[in-house]
Amino acid sequence: MAELTARQPAPGGAPNGSAGGAAEALASAGGWLSPLARAQYDALARMRWQVFLSGLKAIRGITELGARGVQLFVFSLMGIGLGIGLSVASYQIASKSQWAFLPVVFWGVAFLWQTVPIGLASFQDQFDMSSLLRFPVSFGTFYVLYVVFGLLDVSTVLGGLCCTGILIGTGLARPELIGWLLAGLAAFAVCNVLLARAVLAWLDRWLSQRRTREIVSALFLVGLVGLQLLNPGLRQQRRRHTRTAAQVETDRRHAAEWRQGLVVVNRAQAWMPPGLLAGGTAEENERKPLTALGALAGMGLWVVAVGGVLGVRLRAEYRGENLGYAPRRRKAEKAEKAAREWGIGGNGPLTALIEKELRTLTRSMPQLYALAVPVVMVFVIGTIFRNTAGAGRHVFTLAVPVCVAYGLLGFTRVIYNNLGMEGAGIQMLFLSPTPIRTVLLGKNLFHAALYLLMGAASGALAVWRVGWPSLAVTLATAAWVVLAVPVNLTVGNVLSLVMPYKVNPGRLTRQPGSQANALLGMGCQATLLGIGGAVFGLCFFFGRQWLAAPLLLVLAAVATVVYLRFLRNSDTMANAHREDLLEVLGKVG
Amino acid sequence: METAAIETQGLTRRFGALTAVEDVTLRVAPGQFFGFLGPNGAGKSTTIKMLTGLLEPTAGRMEILGRPFGAAALELKRQIGVVPEGMALQGRLTASEYLKFVGRMYGLDAEVTRQRTQELLEFMKLADERRKMVTDFSHGMQKKLALAAAVIHGPKILFLDEPFEGVDAVAAGMLKTMLQGMIQRGATIFLTTHVLEIVERLCSHVAIIAQGRIVANGSIEELRAGVASGLPGEESGKRLTLEQIFLSIVGAGEEEQAQELSWLS
Repeated sequence: MAELTARQPAPGGAPNGSAGGAAEALASAGGWLSPLARAQYDALARMRWQVFLSGLKAIRGITELGARGVQLFVFSLMGIGLGIGLSVASYQIASKSQWAFLPVVFWGVAFLWQTVPIGLASFQDQFDMSSLLRFPVSFGTFYVLYVVFGLLDVSTVLGGLCCTGILIGTGLARPELIGWLLAGLAAFAVCNVLLARAVLAWLDRWLSQRRTREIVSALFLVGLVGLQLLNPGLRQQRRRHTRTAAQVETDRRHAAEWRQGLVVVNRAQAWMPPGLLAGGTAEENERKPLTALGALAGMGLWVVAVGGVLGVRLRAEYRGENLGYAPRRRKAEKAEKAAREWGIGGNGPLTALIEKELRTLTRSMPQLYALAVPVVMVFVIGTIFRNTAGAGRHVFTLAVPVCVAYGLLGFTRVIYNNLGMEGAGIQMLFLSPTPIRTVLLGKNLFHAALYLLMGAASGALAVWRVGWPSLAVTLATAAWVVLAVPVNLTVGNVLSLVMPYKVNPGRLTRQPGSQANALLGMGCQATLLGIGGAVFGLCFFFGRQWLAAPLLLVLAAVATVVYLRFLRNSDTMANAHREDLLEVLGKVG
Repeated sequence: METAAIETQGLTRRFGALTAVEDVTLRVAPGQFFGFLGPNGAGKSTTIKMLTGLLEPTAGRMEILGRPFGAAALELKRQIGVVPEGMALQGRLTASEYLKFVGRMYGLDAEVTRQRTQELLEFMKLADERRKMVTDFSHGMQKKLALAAAVIHGPKILFLDEPFEGVDAVAAGMLKTMLQGMIQRGATIFLTTHVLEIVERLCSHVAIIAQGRIVANGSIEELRAGVASGLPGEESGKRLTLEQIFLSIVGAGEEEQAQELSWLS
């Protein structure tokens, strides 16, 4: 008779022979470097490695690896380009001792480091840490794992290469500063990594509740309006020739006020990580090591503070808070009140699907937010176009088409993974007698309507900011949107069936994703923009602007035929990928 | 010979080197309450997935209501209802919205769907939770909703994968009554569950699958007689419970039961 009497010590040295052993193991879970924690890191690393190797046994895994490689290559090239540029800039600054410009360089890097993760949050495959909570994982271990998982993301690669460029450029000009720069840039990098993680973690939290969501939206709008306040001074400078002497005096007074404001801003930024790093570098250059060390200590304080802010959020998640799927009690009650009986009517699966899509999307604020942000950004881009044009001059001819194209970028995720939000519900779609082509058609109709609506909204915002473009450009822009609809839907249907990934509608970040899907989606967007640009460019070059719209409409007609052919064959394709779809979308967690 | 509700011949499913289901041959007559039993990982859910068109068999033949799944897939799907392993619910809809969605996906008229939704919600005691999102339902409530969704179109065959898991005793009693009512009205039910008392009480026929192969198939009385005949002397006269039959057939004998995890307190 087999008897299980194994009494080898558990990881961490705790005996596993009794309940007391389990308690000891839990007690030793305290430190993030404890033996148990180290055993857990090891176990997780092995698990991730095994998952990676298992993934390579399937075509999907190999495709994902290839896409990840391409993505890393592309972003590395971008990073190297940026790094070289920053290297040259910092060399110039250091060799000419123009240290006042160094903060600008560091602020640029910090801005990039913080905005890239938000922009790419939807595309990055991120490990969901909540699955670790059932294990005796200490908070320290949880924290470390949160920071370590996905460390090699796009923002870190770009930021790291930028920092390397600055190190090389400054080091070549002033070799004696290399030691200081290594320490300072390391602290700067840690601060940025932690801040990027904290921003994403808090963004999910804020977007999950109505009140905080409204605050975030208000802050966003205040930021936009704030940008607008920068404009009058610039515009007045350009309109100088039309001004009276009194107005010129007023302008001069305003400019002086602005300069005063900038001095205050400069003082404030000097206490922030980019300012501290730049200031410390200048101090070190002037042989003031104590002041430089003070700057380094200041950066250390920032690391602690930002780490603390991240820790507050992670502590709540560590205690079991789940923002992912189930809304909290009060929120659930509000959702119940909001769920009044309504419907778009009609019989049959098509209206049922459209109705369901509408309900699901309107109840998923993070998804709505991701859709809406690019449209709001159109306001900013439109304003920039308006302000870069001087008085009496025309704005950039293609300002409106560019704004419209940008405003529709938020759709990438929704269209290219249109089954992602079904989750386990995908089984029902396959079990029902409704063909998958009808399911896709229902989703496509809903998305097409939304796409056109948002295209119109982006266009209206752009026109408000920069004015009406010529009739030829207006028609061509509308024709480009009409072309973009069938192209996006066709590519979206194929990618949704072949490279799906599960979407948690309650979250903006930390979702599983598909790198291959994201890459091909971006490729499709780039192709569409390229086609639009080429048609616009050629027609303008040959002075036949009116020809752009008909040409784009012909392409749209061809794209519609292709779309319909794909749709007709989508059942065959769905059946071929049925098991993969059920496995990927139906998996728990 | 009467057309079988479900008939399979040599049904096999392989996942790479792993054979999950091998050479499964079954015949379920119309109106039969059929219990499909087996230990964890035996191949029950894989078989159900193949029978409901969610999974392509690697080999073998299967017919539902006398027609092979394939060209007639959409027509056959109208005739079957399924409570699948993952329940297939939509978390961001209310129970009422979900049932209406499912009804329309099965081609029911909007008015019929509305009426049946109301009746099902009341029957399942979910009517008071009309405005609650499915994601906020307890596991048992989700099971009841999944069952309601599986029957809303009035299927002729119902496939149930662990329908009683996580359901309280009151609800389980109610579900049993509903399923028996369906059988009386001529439906066929294909049930997998680990609650053997329920199978013993409800099912007329049982098949047991172990390691992907059918190891027993017949009425409960036939299985009982088969197992009892292999027992020594006075033991063979005892009336065996389904649990004893099951354990005897799948080979989880005394040796395994006696295995002791001595380090557990």
